[in-house]
Amino acid sequence: MNRRSFLQGLGGLAGAAVLPSELWSAAAGPGFRLVDVTARAGIHFLHNSGAFGGKFLPETMGSGCAFLDYDSDGWQDILLVNGMDWPGHKREHTTLRLYRNNRDGTFSDVTRRAGLDVEMYGMGVAVGDYNNDGHPDILITGVGQNRLFKNTGGKFVDATQAAGLGGREAFSTSALWFDYDRDGLLDLVVCNYVKWSPAHDVFCSLDGKHKSYCTPEAYRGETCWLFHNRGNGTFEDVTPSSGIFDTSSKSLGVAMLDFDQDGWPDLLIANDTQPNKLYRNQRNGTFKEVGVESGIAFSAEGKARAGMGVDTGDFDGSGAPGVAITNFDNEMIGLFRMGSKHIYDDVAMSAGVGAPSRNTLGFGCVFADINLDGALDLVVANGHIDETVRNIRGNVGYAQPPQLFLNDGKGHFHDVAAQAGISFDRPKVGRGLAYGDFDRDGDLDLLMTTNNSSAFLYRNDQLAGNRSIRFRLVGKKSNRDAIGAIVRIYAGGSSQSRMVKGGSSYLSQSELPVTFGVGKRDRIEHATIQWPSGRTEEFKNLATGRAYECVEGRGI
Amino acid sequence: MRRQLASLVFSRLASNWQKPGRLTYARGVQRSSAQSPTLGLILGLVITLAAVVAYSWYITLQIRGLRELQNNLADRSRKDSLQLLRIQDDLNSLGLAMRDMLDNDEPYPLTAWSAQFQRVRSDLDDAFRREEELAVAHRTPEQREYLGKSLNQFWDAVGRTFTLAQAGKQAEAREQIRVTLQARQAALSTAVARLLVANNESEQQAAQRVGEIYDRVQRQVYIFLSAILIAIVLTSLYVIRSNRRLFAQLATLSEQRSELAQKLISMQESTLREISRELHDEFGQILTAVGAMLERAKKHAPEGSPLRTDLREVSEVAQSTLESVRSLSQALHPVMLDEAGLESTVEWYLRTVEKQTGVDICYEKSGTPFPVDGSAGVHVYRVLQEALNNVARHSGARQAWVRLCFEPEALQLEVEDHGKGLPNNGARQGIGLVGMRERAELLSATLQFSHPLEGGTLVRLRVPRAKCESHA
Repeated sequence: MNRRSFLQGLGGLAGAAVLPSELWSAAAGPGFRLVDVTARAGIHFLHNSGAFGGKFLPETMGSGCAFLDYDSDGWQDILLVNGMDWPGHKREHTTLRLYRNNRDGTFSDVTRRAGLDVEMYGMGVAVGDYNNDGHPDILITGVGQNRLFKNTGGKFVDATQAAGLGGREAFSTSALWFDYDRDGLLDLVVCNYVKWSPAHDVFCSLDGKHKSYCTPEAYRGETCWLFHNRGNGTFEDVTPSSGIFDTSSKSLGVAMLDFDQDGWPDLLIANDTQPNKLYRNQRNGTFKEVGVESGIAFSAEGKARAGMGVDTGDFDGSGAPGVAITNFDNEMIGLFRMGSKHIYDDVAMSAGVGAPSRNTLGFGCVFADINLDGALDLVVANGHIDETVRNIRGNVGYAQPPQLFLNDGKGHFHDVAAQAGISFDRPKVGRGLAYGDFDRDGDLDLLMTTNNSSAFLYRNDQLAGNRSIRFRLVGKKSNRDAIGAIVRIYAGGSSQSRMVKGGSSYLSQSELPVTFGVGKRDRIEHATIQWPSGRTEEFKNLATGRAYECVEGRGI
Repeated sequence: MRRQLASLVFSRLASNWQKPGRLTYARGVQRSSAQSPTLGLILGLVITLAAVVAYSWYITLQIRGLRELQNNLADRSRKDSLQLLRIQDDLNSLGLAMRDMLDNDEPYPLTAWSAQFQRVRSDLDDAFRREEELAVAHRTPEQREYLGKSLNQFWDAVGRTFTLAQAGKQAEAREQIRVTLQARQAALSTAVARLLVANNESEQQAAQRVGEIYDRVQRQVYIFLSAILIAIVLTSLYVIRSNRRLFAQLATLSEQRSELAQKLISMQESTLREISRELHDEFGQILTAVGAMLERAKKHAPEGSPLRTDLREVSEVAQSTLESVRSLSQALHPVMLDEAGLESTVEWYLRTVEKQTGVDICYEKSGTPFPVDGSAGVHVYRVLQEALNNVARHSGARQAWVRLCFEPEALQLEVEDHGKGLPNNGARQGIGLVGMRERAELLSATLQFSHPLEGGTLVRLRVPRAKCESHA
């Protein structure tokens, strides 16, 4: 032992002596902690489900959230979607909320200033710069008319009608921006749940007397929509011609992936009580549905589960995208690993995710390397839809703790939510979930919404000294957000890959920059970027512990 | 000389005794061999093994039949039903899609549904193909033709509908759906439902057949177990009967041997008594007469003459021979036993043994003496004789203890030494020990050999008093 390491050891001991007990236990545990900084950050949001006793189906479903850099200052801002009171039961005026990052750990509510104080029954959010002007635009889905808000440089204008998205009433859920035809313009996918409106509400009851929330079987499905970006600020509905049209689906979650690794983005849609759909991009503007043959449509028992949220990610380091789909309680999370011939295997049980999720109803889910060890972990927001579920199923509660499955890098996960921080595993009626590095310390913080209650912002504090390397991509020939780009890094004989994704999770969107955990490494050997345009760039010997901005064709 | 004579007599007697004994034993062995249960048991074993093999074969046959039934009928029928359900699901999806098309509440033309129909069609085709491979229930050619035709007609109608829709004739296309497509979809659905019912019936029949096989096997198991039980009972009875016969033969043999030994001993005692008497009476008288005549002749010979000296020497030899004859006579059969009884004979004998062998004998007598019959006394005496012989010849001990105890109900004789003791390894018993046992048996007495704490041997003979007093 030299003098330096001895002094470091002493310093460590001294530090340990003054550590709060929570920090000490966390330090001995997963190597990080998630600190609830919601109030400290100035986020005072309360979701309004509009519930008045009518038990309208949408009340129990919302809502979503997003990390976005709406003012393009390099700091992640926060958007929280809100519902509203139902007509005839008006009590208050509620709108979505946009919180600007003050760059000091706090946020300011800029909703009104940004022009977003629009009352609507919002459900989900998708963020994407559809007009490539450098300012991220927002699509808010909801019950009724979805709204497209064009960002004019810190201020949003409602471009719904102008873009050709008006005149559509539906119960829309998740949405995402992606460039399916690789023309450099972001197209839009919007999921619809069921054909529901207050006028067509069905009476469902558990006891035959009192109304309760209906299951989706009570309603007819509705097709998802695919809108092609014409490049002139308007969209063309290509739902029927693209092969997406499907009136049997009851869609809640949507994620993009390149499951056949041909460089063209495919689409995965999680359906509630209906088979999940995997739309393979046929590179000609159309999709072929391959959910059944790819093994992702049903559970291993051949049952169509109640798919809620969905995310994709290279969680096993194979380079192929894995999939996580949250389901109803008693159905377990579906964790799919790519097998041979592009067929997915549900490895939830063997990977340690199945059994712990048997009694939870999952909604939002994200693959994120929370402890920066180089393996994608899985975070899940849980919460039931029925307040009285405890009376029926004693071991299942309405509010449920979120789960944080740490990936050991060998294909096994274990839930460390209870060790991740004092309040993280407190039961909630979780719905939306997104990640983003709002404090720019290199690790991924979490944003979670709850139904008819508060939102939560969890700051991730690394305790084990793990580092990361982050990339923010700017497309030139590709869409400006570089959505669909795949970044791979190589270090120490292993590789990791991330896709710049829109959508994923449930009704939510995470930040667009990609983050790689590298453990204690201070450099990586090289990184490659596969742009949506088809261009590939490579960068060697990059230092970790920092974020790189990569402009397509111009390097770092 | 005396020993040589005695052993000569015994060996002759023994040889005479052994001949008929060997003969008897040989006869006994031959008889038991003729009635040995081995053959019966082997036969039983063969029958049992044959039954087990036959039963195993039967069970294997039944299980194979069961497996075939389950694999080829029940499982296949189940898989077929799953495919039929898949077809029903697809037909239902088509029905829902047609309903949506007719509702006209989508902002899309009817052609929008073509991809959805195409998806269902590819799944339906696959399901029909698989179903046909798995179909268990015998389909008539008419049924097959009907199903194929109905499906083709349905897709033809679908094609016509979408052609109309593509030509912009939405109303006509909807009419086509309402009039033709929905009816054909319903007919297909009904046909598939019938197939499902047929499959269900087939599954029920299979289940019934499986149940019958189980019942049959159960019955056979009971029969087999009963047969095995009967075989076990019969074998057991046969073994018991054989054992009883063997034990009876053994008992007879033992009785015969005992009787023979008794006769042998009686004969031996009678012979010895005869010889002893002959020696004492005949040779003793002769020698006494010879001695008297020599004494008379000696008186006629001049004093100091060589004749007188010779006569004196011959007279001394005669006297000595007379004593030897008397001594031998006593040894063969102590006349004292008949005349003075067991107690005196024992005392005399112990003194004689001490003198002859140099073994120091401590003699103890206890209890109230009662008369011991001469025959019984001989056997007790012979046991004592043999026990002391063993002490002198084999134990290596220089001291022995003899205890004669007259108990109220029994006479007990103990001979103890602290010498080498009897071997523990079950070595073959000498003829002396066999003789002791036979004599004890003749007296209905118990004879025990034990090891005293100090080492050596303790021989204990215990004769019931009744046997002592009245032994024939």
